[in-house]
Amino acid sequence: MSGTHGTQTSAGPVLGDTPPEATAATGEVGDNAAGMAAVGRVARALMPDTGVISDPTQLRTYECDGLAHYRVTPALVVLPETTEQLAGVVRACAEHGVPFVARGSGTGLSGGALPRADGVLVVTSRMRTIREVRRADQRAVLEPGVINLDVTRAATGEGYYYAPDPSSQQICSIGGNLAENSGGAHCLKYGFTSNHVLGAELVTPQGDVVQLGGLAPDAPGYDLLGTVVGSEGTLGIATTATVRLVRLPEEVRTLLVGFRSTDDAGAATSAIIGSGVLPAAIEMMDALAIEAAEAAVHCNYPDGAGAVLVIELDGPAAEVQHEYDVVERLCQEHGSFELRLAIDATERALIWKGRKSAFAAVGRISPDYIVQDGVIPRTALPEVLRAIADLSSSSGVRVANVFHAGDGNLHPLVLFDDGKPGAGEAAEKVSGAILDLCITHGGAITGEHGVGVDKAAYMPKMFTDDDLDTMQLVRCAFDPGGIANPGKVFPTPRLCGEVPGKRKHAHPLVEAGLADAF
Amino acid sequence: MGQPTTVQAEGPQDDPRTAGVRASGPVPVDTPTVRPAFDDEHPPSAELISDCVHCGFCLPTCPTYTLWGEEMDSPRGRIDLMKAGLQGAPMTDTMVQHFDACLGCMACVTACPSGVQYDKLIEATRVQVERHHTRSPGDRAMRASIFALFPYKRRLRALRGPLRAYQASGLPKVVRTSGLLDRLAPKLAAMEGLAPVLEKREKLPSRVPAVGERRAVVGMLTGCVQGEFFPGVNAATARVLAAEGCDVIIPKKQGCCGALSVHNGRQEEAERFARATIDAFEAAGVQTVVVNAAGCGSSMKEYAEVLADDPAYAERAKTFAASVRDVSELLAELGTVAERHPLEVTVAYHDACHLGHAQGIRQQPRALLREIPGLQLREIPEAEICCGSAGIWNVLNPEPARELGDRKARNIASTGAELLVTANPGCLMQVSSSLQRQGTRIGLAHTIEVLDASIRGLPVSTLGPPD
Amino acid sequence: MTTVSLDAARTALSSACGDVTDAGPADAVDGVPARLVARPGTTAETAAVLQAAAGHGLTVVPRGRGTKLSWGRPPERADLVLDMSRMSAVLDHAAGDLIVHAQAGTLLADVQQTVGSAGQRLSLDESVPGTSIGGALATNTSGPGRLVVGTARDLLLGVTLVRADGVVAKAGGRVVKNVAGYDLGKLVIGSFGTLAVITDAVFRLHPLPAAQRFVTVPFGTAEDAAALVQTMVHSQVVPAAVEVEWRVDGAGTVGVLLGGTPAGVEARTAATLELLGTGAEAAETPPPGWGALPWRDDADLPEVGLKLTCALSGLAPVLDAARRAAADAGVPLTLRGSGGSGVLYAALAADAPVDAVAAVVERTRTACTAHGGSLVVLEAPAAVQAAVDTWGPVPAIDLMRRVKEQFDPERRLAPGRFVGGI
Repeated sequence: MSGTHGTQTSAGPVLGDTPPEATAATGEVGDNAAGMAAVGRVARALMPDTGVISDPTQLRTYECDGLAHYRVTPALVVLPETTEQLAGVVRACAEHGVPFVARGSGTGLSGGALPRADGVLVVTSRMRTIREVRRADQRAVLEPGVINLDVTRAATGEGYYYAPDPSSQQICSIGGNLAENSGGAHCLKYGFTSNHVLGAELVTPQGDVVQLGGLAPDAPGYDLLGTVVGSEGTLGIATTATVRLVRLPEEVRTLLVGFRSTDDAGAATSAIIGSGVLPAAIEMMDALAIEAAEAAVHCNYPDGAGAVLVIELDGPAAEVQHEYDVVERLCQEHGSFELRLAIDATERALIWKGRKSAFAAVGRISPDYIVQDGVIPRTALPEVLRAIADLSSSSGVRVANVFHAGDGNLHPLVLFDDGKPGAGEAAEKVSGAILDLCITHGGAITGEHGVGVDKAAYMPKMFTDDDLDTMQLVRCAFDPGGIANPGKVFPTPRLCGEVPGKRKHAHPLVEAGLADAF
Repeated sequence: MGQPTTVQAEGPQDDPRTAGVRASGPVPVDTPTVRPAFDDEHPPSAELISDCVHCGFCLPTCPTYTLWGEEMDSPRGRIDLMKAGLQGAPMTDTMVQHFDACLGCMACVTACPSGVQYDKLIEATRVQVERHHTRSPGDRAMRASIFALFPYKRRLRALRGPLRAYQASGLPKVVRTSGLLDRLAPKLAAMEGLAPVLEKREKLPSRVPAVGERRAVVGMLTGCVQGEFFPGVNAATARVLAAEGCDVIIPKKQGCCGALSVHNGRQEEAERFARATIDAFEAAGVQTVVVNAAGCGSSMKEYAEVLADDPAYAERAKTFAASVRDVSELLAELGTVAERHPLEVTVAYHDACHLGHAQGIRQQPRALLREIPGLQLREIPEAEICCGSAGIWNVLNPEPARELGDRKARNIASTGAELLVTANPGCLMQVSSSLQRQGTRIGLAHTIEVLDASIRGLPVSTLGPPD
Repeated sequence: MTTVSLDAARTALSSACGDVTDAGPADAVDGVPARLVARPGTTAETAAVLQAAAGHGLTVVPRGRGTKLSWGRPPERADLVLDMSRMSAVLDHAAGDLIVHAQAGTLLADVQQTVGSAGQRLSLDESVPGTSIGGALATNTSGPGRLVVGTARDLLLGVTLVRADGVVAKAGGRVVKNVAGYDLGKLVIGSFGTLAVITDAVFRLHPLPAAQRFVTVPFGTAEDAAALVQTMVHSQVVPAAVEVEWRVDGAGTVGVLLGGTPAGVEARTAATLELLGTGAEAAETPPPGWGALPWRDDADLPEVGLKLTCALSGLAPVLDAARRAAADAGVPLTLRGSGGSGVLYAALAADAPVDAVAAVVERTRTACTAHGGSLVVLEAPAAVQAAVDTWGPVPAIDLMRRVKEQFDPERRLAPGRFVGGI
């Protein structure tokens, strides 16, 4: 199976496992073995024994992130606890031409933290101190391994929270969020990680420690931070992040609205957005996704719904009441048959639990599935959903839809049984066709999961060679040696001319005929 | 460990530049000289393993991941190791170390959206570990000592009272020389300082008749640790059940339920205890068996799996397992009839892992406590994370257990409650020493003791908090 | 550049673009005379012009509507002014999707008019009147509204750029959510034309509020001002803007903007009046000077215009330091800005002695940096520019230089205008 797009999970039977999937340049054991050994020595000198992992059994547990379809065992794993340790390892990598890949909690869905067989996996899970919660500044200063939800937990007592909330917020780390520019349900109103990370200490791919942005806005100079956020670990590793804290709203109303069809729910979404109301979130799930969520967390969504919308309104009480009236009216006008308002935190949590567990819950109704992540203009929602339904019925491949309706970010879940011959290929085809739909509707190939290893081959469908080449100018500025998470994001690496460090032989990608020197 | 080998992998088909790129890594290869980790007798199920989608939702609830932040000490990491074992990787010391480090708290089972049955996986793995792994002499001695002590009431009785722990000459030599008592003694002392129950042992009759109209006949497990260290809990259980209209049958011949053995891969021992327990309650002729210790209840509900391969017991074990109820579960099913008297007290309720995660019983005890007039219930932050007791885990892993206990104690203290209520003797032992270490003055009680005090109209002071 | 090569360059440029003229005195960039002006009408023409300029080694200064060309440092040379004013079309307004796509030379006011007809707005305040969207992006201007909706980096979805070598590149897209590839849009925001030329941009839009109200309250000291700002930002009224103004005469005002539904705004105004206490007043219209930069824009004798930033907790010390430094130096000072965001602008009189200005800059900058921020001299007469550090200390300057080297290895795009002489 080619695995070129979408997040495939539960890849087949365990015994006689299919060979590890790979895309461009996952490296090979033994490439630059001397360099690797040197980096290992540096790491051991910098860190306690428990911070350096080279036992093959243990390394095996780091072979994939949240996208289990791709597996590569790293040559070395390091678990630094300080910036100095982390920078020291990266500096050694730069000096010896050894690639490295950064990883937080390993929950990414695009294989962005897929290790290199000839490289070091730098795991930030032990750098997890919330350094400061600065209420007066509405900021928090965090280490990269801090769990997203823990930021909110730490700030709640001060009347604040951290707004970006990926479905995996209970485990995904701030460092990973920063690398992937993570989104979440509440991005509709509050924006993405890039809107909330205002400063970072960055270890560059050459091992230098630089401060980008900080507590104050608009630092003079280029907005390097804005470029680093979302660069998927290809421009360095953040060792602290300064994030914006958002005031907890005076009032929150969470609604669960049942519709007979996704068409109705999609039209209601467009109407709400068009009315000038900006909800904190508008999420949609179709019948299949509802079935899965019910099986997993018994969220008690309306019976017989062809689609539900989870709509959250927040803000000053006086505004929320008005918005609620508008939303209720628009839902009714577009055929809602049931509207429930969560009466307390428990009910609210249950509504969200259904939504946030949906991806993994699909495992309950299908042995295997691909999580797709594409974006379309919001107004194209009904049309694209119908096209997906047509794709599904013509191919016989079931597709469950869970997505951020408010901002047009689709997460179709393409279901299949890898035990059946050809099923995986058929699913891949449908998944790819959905991405093509997004592109032809003027959308994007990923809204929040990132390109990673999974969609690098799709980048040329969205961008020209010149676009990609221009993006990689930035990479050459940060990482002339091409050692920071190579093989991710870009289908073809741009070589940056003179490579510092000790590399004597030709670049392995050139040798392999995989890249041309520009 | 097999030598790392490279495996041909496919690149994206529409990108010829990447075709034939070789991904690699130590994919263990089954060579004749290396024995695979698992034999064919009930290894961890490949099918259950394939349910794991690697989403990571289990990580934040896993005590060892919380402590060490490393993948191989997380549920999905351990599943990766099981998978490696199934693919032929040998059972190295490293691999065993990570299986051993699992507390078996089952928080991951609760957290898993994909429904991975990690409980079944780790128990199957532990049986394999016990069968194929040779432990260090010190580890062997400690384990032998534990299993020579805990399942035996008379030996436990020798430990009651802090001084007696050192004078326990009646214990087998393996217990006296292993260092186990040195690890237990401080905990026992701490517990006696906080728990209200050790003042006297009440002798329970073999039958306690229902008060008023009889609504059920139930058998009651008295347990080992519960019976010896918290005899007041058993007495309270019998009184509350009677007050709620149950005839309570307490078979004299009952012994250990085998929970510790089940949870530590000691298959034969577990089977032996399970058969004896089934025999004892079948002889008593009860349709329902009530348990007040979370760990015992959870393993008795697993008897069907424990005895699945025993033709003489398989069916009986199924029937028996279906008859087991935690006491709070049963009381919730029956509904309350006995009058509750007010208890003006703030209570922090701690979910014992084997009640909350393993049996899914969270609402019932809370609902029962809320029925008591004047009682204020508070939730403990990070409630899903184990206190570090975990059966015998805290004895085998004293340092990380202390870290977890201290973390739990801080969270308990943050509630400001006067009384800590939970349903497992191990949890009470574990958190009491941490609470004492950080100087938190808080009373400790079992859920049933609180109900008992309320039904009997006793003052709050009988439950603590200590002065 | 010799006359001969200028002729050759002019010829080459003319074949690339129909509108190439010799530069006049009005085309000078911050006092640096320009030689040629090209006015491309399309991205392709822009690319052709930049290719021709590359072929002849011309330095190029991009110009939108020329409203902020005097900001930052003067360029070392300005062989060619690349005037974007012909590229002034709103290419697409997808009201249902709340996005607008416009060419770089489009007046911000024109964009607002177009989207306003659908009850929407581009939430980028026009702090400099007459600005184009390209110019606003290149200089990263912002106004009171930044408190809630942020700045250009929070609104820009996609961008088309032409590199110094004439290569056209796009980044981002037309949808509100997109993480495919590097966000080059953020890189060029505030880059003062030193990395690439922006030819068009896609922005997200917001609905226009149905009602809005301004509440102002006077303050006497820096501590009072900071306390009022803290009160507002921690409140539940969700102000759309929290402004601080401190005039030369010592009169200080905190101004709050509330936007939303009529009923909601009324209730929140009442709450705001209560929170701000004695002296607070509500009005339907903005107070004078709302959202405008405090300095007078005079091409002949510009006032000194500074941009001060700090962490919110540093607001009082920064206000205080600026006021004291100005008083000690005997220079009249006006402060105005988004106190709620930690961004203030300061104006010093045009005729203030250079030493005095330098002293104010120095002391105020020390206070800003002590509180996590910075001070930039945006606007100043040549004599002042020569005497002060325009940009101040810039962390990660080496990395910035490397980015510049990659994009413009020959240093032909607005050389010298930006930080560290970039």
